[in-house]
Amino acid sequence: MTLTSPPPDSSEAPEAPTNRPPSMHRARNWMRRPYARSIMILTVVIGFILLPLCWLIVAAMNQSGAPASPIMEDIETTVFVFTLVSIPITAFVFAVLVYSLLGWKHVSGDEVPADDSPAIRTNTVGVLIWTVASSLLAMFLVVWGLMELASITANSYGTVSADEQPGGEKALIVNVTGQQWVWTFEYPQHDGLTSDILYLPKDRAVYFNVTSKDVLHNFWAVELGVKIDANPGAITQTGVTPNKAGTFNVRCAELCGLHHAYMQTKIQVLEPTAFDSWVRESGGGRTS
Amino acid sequence: MTTATSTLEASSSTVFGVEVPQPPQHGKPGGIMRHLNFGTGLLTGIVFAVAAGWITSALSSSSATNDTFAPTEPEYIYLAGLIGWVIGFMLGMGAFVGPLRWVTGRDLTHADAEYMAGKDLGIRRYFKFTTDHKVVGIQYLVVVLGILGLGGLLAMLIRTELGATWTEVFSPTFYNTIIGTHGIAMVIGMIVVMSGPVGNFIVPMMIGARDMAFPRLNALSLWLLVAAVVCLISSMFVGGIQDGWSVYYPLAAQAPPGMLGYQLTIIVFAVSTGIASVNLMTTILTMRAKGMTWSRTPILVFGVFAASLMGLYAFPFYQYSQILALTDRIWDTVFFNPVQGGSVWLYENLFWLLGHPEVYVILIPSMAVALEIMPVFLRRPLFSFNFAVAGIVGVVALSGLVWAHHMYMTGWAPAVNYPFMLSTEMISIPVGFLVLVAIGTFWRATVWTRLPLMAIYAVVFNKMIGGVTGVYLSDVPADQYFHGSMFVVAHFHYMLMGAGLFGAMGGIAFYFPKMTGRILDERIGSIGLWTAFAGFQITFGSMFVAGLQGQPRRVLQFDDMFNISNWISTIGAYVIGIGMLIFLAAIIYSWRSGEVASSNPWGSKSLEWQTPTPVPLENFAVLPVVTERPYNYGVPDPYEAELEAEDGDRTSDDRERAGVS
Ligand code: HEM
Ligand SMILES: [Cu+2]
Ligand SMILES: [Cu+2]
Repeated sequence: MTLTSPPPDSSEAPEAPTNRPPSMHRARNWMRRPYARSIMILTVVIGFILLPLCWLIVAAMNQSGAPASPIMEDIETTVFVFTLVSIPITAFVFAVLVYSLLGWKHVSGDEVPADDSPAIRTNTVGVLIWTVASSLLAMFLVVWGLMELASITANSYGTVSADEQPGGEKALIVNVTGQQWVWTFEYPQHDGLTSDILYLPKDRAVYFNVTSKDVLHNFWAVELGVKIDANPGAITQTGVTPNKAGTFNVRCAELCGLHHAYMQTKIQVLEPTAFDSWVRESGGGRTS
Repeated sequence: MTTATSTLEASSSTVFGVEVPQPPQHGKPGGIMRHLNFGTGLLTGIVFAVAAGWITSALSSSSATNDTFAPTEPEYIYLAGLIGWVIGFMLGMGAFVGPLRWVTGRDLTHADAEYMAGKDLGIRRYFKFTTDHKVVGIQYLVVVLGILGLGGLLAMLIRTELGATWTEVFSPTFYNTIIGTHGIAMVIGMIVVMSGPVGNFIVPMMIGARDMAFPRLNALSLWLLVAAVVCLISSMFVGGIQDGWSVYYPLAAQAPPGMLGYQLTIIVFAVSTGIASVNLMTTILTMRAKGMTWSRTPILVFGVFAASLMGLYAFPFYQYSQILALTDRIWDTVFFNPVQGGSVWLYENLFWLLGHPEVYVILIPSMAVALEIMPVFLRRPLFSFNFAVAGIVGVVALSGLVWAHHMYMTGWAPAVNYPFMLSTEMISIPVGFLVLVAIGTFWRATVWTRLPLMAIYAVVFNKMIGGVTGVYLSDVPADQYFHGSMFVVAHFHYMLMGAGLFGAMGGIAFYFPKMTGRILDERIGSIGLWTAFAGFQITFGSMFVAGLQGQPRRVLQFDDMFNISNWISTIGAYVIGIGMLIFLAAIIYSWRSGEVASSNPWGSKSLEWQTPTPVPLENFAVLPVVTERPYNYGVPDPYEAELEAEDGDRTSDDRERAGVS
């Protein structure tokens, strides 16, 4: 290709004069180019192909009964939104790759191609759009993340002790202890009742004091969206309000030695009355 | 001028037409270096290791204490053996000959230096402490292929265990060992996979230099790497690295002596990378050809420089963390043991201060090599060179400010999760610049479909997936679900393997003709690459699913609900294994009997391709002068011509309308 060869679509009829700003005029012209148009169409097509991922991802997370708490709901919303907003940009990049691979000119063989491609050293408009768009996107993700983080921090009672929470006297305190390779749950409000299955009442704030007797473990209440390290010599605190009755999983999420894989147990979220009777039957004495 | 009174007469040599006075020549050129090679290195290393171990065992009276974590006698023996090995091996290789001769007043002459650069040594120079950057580059390539091969083999074992959901194929001890060893072997391999072979062989030629700034340090960094890898392998025979590649405290305190192997590997490897980084950076800063201003410097040089810079500040943290861990273990210091007043969080901080920059040390050279390949095969300049540089600078600037995103769930300091989430998500902006440059260069370009370029399609594809999932992980609420799960493992494999390793495969294919004089077989190579790519999507795609379902990482058994995704993942892993073997076969076959390459088979305009193949000892007989920007390919853009014409029309229209005529 040389300068003298006509541009591929110069046959377009000249546009009637309008009072649209020249930038709009240029953008419209650009969109008319076959190359640009094909990539835009491809972007939309790929975008729609990727779209189901938003739901599939959440469905995979829900396989064992999640979400069982407002925290897990927040997490799933976040994952859903992040998938959604990253689809357009991913689709665009994939569209450029696919079009370059399948839709554009190729040469193969050992010879260095005789024809060079157009020397586009930069494109101010393109670069600006990309920078602004990606910065806005990043800002959106950050702001969203900060708000959700504030929300789940509030939902897990942050650093405020359980007694000072609204309705604090009703909050249930559970002391979680990890040791190689079992979890122990202690209910200090119920005469120090202990259990190796985590029984929780539905719709009541629960407050966890987490620690370890030996190495690092990580207390992961999967369907409740709770996760925090169990550190020897320190107590980490978090909390949750289960809002769904059922059987869920605790898994250790930090390598803790030989039987790390087996360091898991069940969570039973019970209706409040059922929880109270469990406490009584297990000799937990006074219910709060 | 007196007459010669002895054979040790000071002489002079002519170096590139300049008379250079020389210290007296002692004996034949090379002196003792004539007798030292890999064999003597191994021998001395083993002798020293055995001697050190024996002395230690003789000295240490049974120092039994009641403390359960107290080191046992075998620990001391193993540690002494390792230290003996490293020192002995380096001694036997001849690493200390230069400084020793300088101290004793018998400094190296030009003839000695030429001997050490491998002049007229033929194949033997690859087994010696050779200073020529091209020899070091080839040595690095072979060592790296070995390390990655080991890591790959272990990966197959891991996946075998995870696929056989109905039984325990390996004992938990062995399983934990292969996870940790796979992790650290792959990390070491990927850190050097581009900066080693390409950084040493190609970069000096690319900037128009005759060698690296410090040729002997160059050889030193390579052989230290070899010494470190032997420490790593030895650890597998004394209990292995059972605590993942991150070896968190206090679990690591319970570990068998293999942990010492890990610690010594890291300490030695950090020295090796430090030396290599300083060498590369000095070379790039001071030895660029006349006229090679920063905007005329190829992007790969920026990438290698950036990786060296990040390595230089990040590795000391890692090295200190392991030195402190070593003293905790051997001399009962208390840095990390929380029960006695140490802090596990201190360890985690030190580790991730390296750990995060390290991923960019792996990624940036691969991205840069991708951007180096694209202009050549798309026959056009890089889309926005400045933006690519800005992307690299941005990544380097932010890379040191994000480490605590690995500690969101530790409870260390929940309040800092906010700023670290901010800085981490900001990194997607400069990384986005690099993606923009890549797709901008693909935009409307005719594609010369050769293997090196085809690998770059794979890189950009994988990088997008790794990047998007990385944004999930940088978000604290989402990480509260994903941290410590298989999702994380799938994410970082998309980055380190999908982008890093596939980019490196492209880079090796690209530079293969210059490095070996032969073309990497296009057909076998492509079959290998695309088989591995397909297997890769299967393996790590379904690993994402396992993570979403809630499977923790580093487990050898799991609930039945994870079976299907793990079966699929394991099948994919075997496909990767087959693909990688085919690619390796392509390398070996082409190296031995591939099609002989011309000196510039890709028609590149970069300096490294202007040298003859095989490249002569000092690369350039006459040093080149650079007069233009890199990637000056391409024809004027027809669309731009159209636009200009249009603009011209409009202005004349406007003038008419305004009646100016
Ligand atoms: C053949 C391809 C590969 C396969 C099938 C593979 C598979 C795996 C698997 C199954 C794990 C263990 C996951 C877990 O349970 O935690 C793992 C861990 C890991 N892999 Fe790979 N891998 C491959 C290549 C690579 C490459 C190229 C790198 C480059 C750096 C790498 C780096 C790591 C690291 C750092 C870990 C973490 C080890 C740890 O948990 O301490 N892998 N890999
Ligand atoms: Cu565990
Ligand atoms: Cu990181």
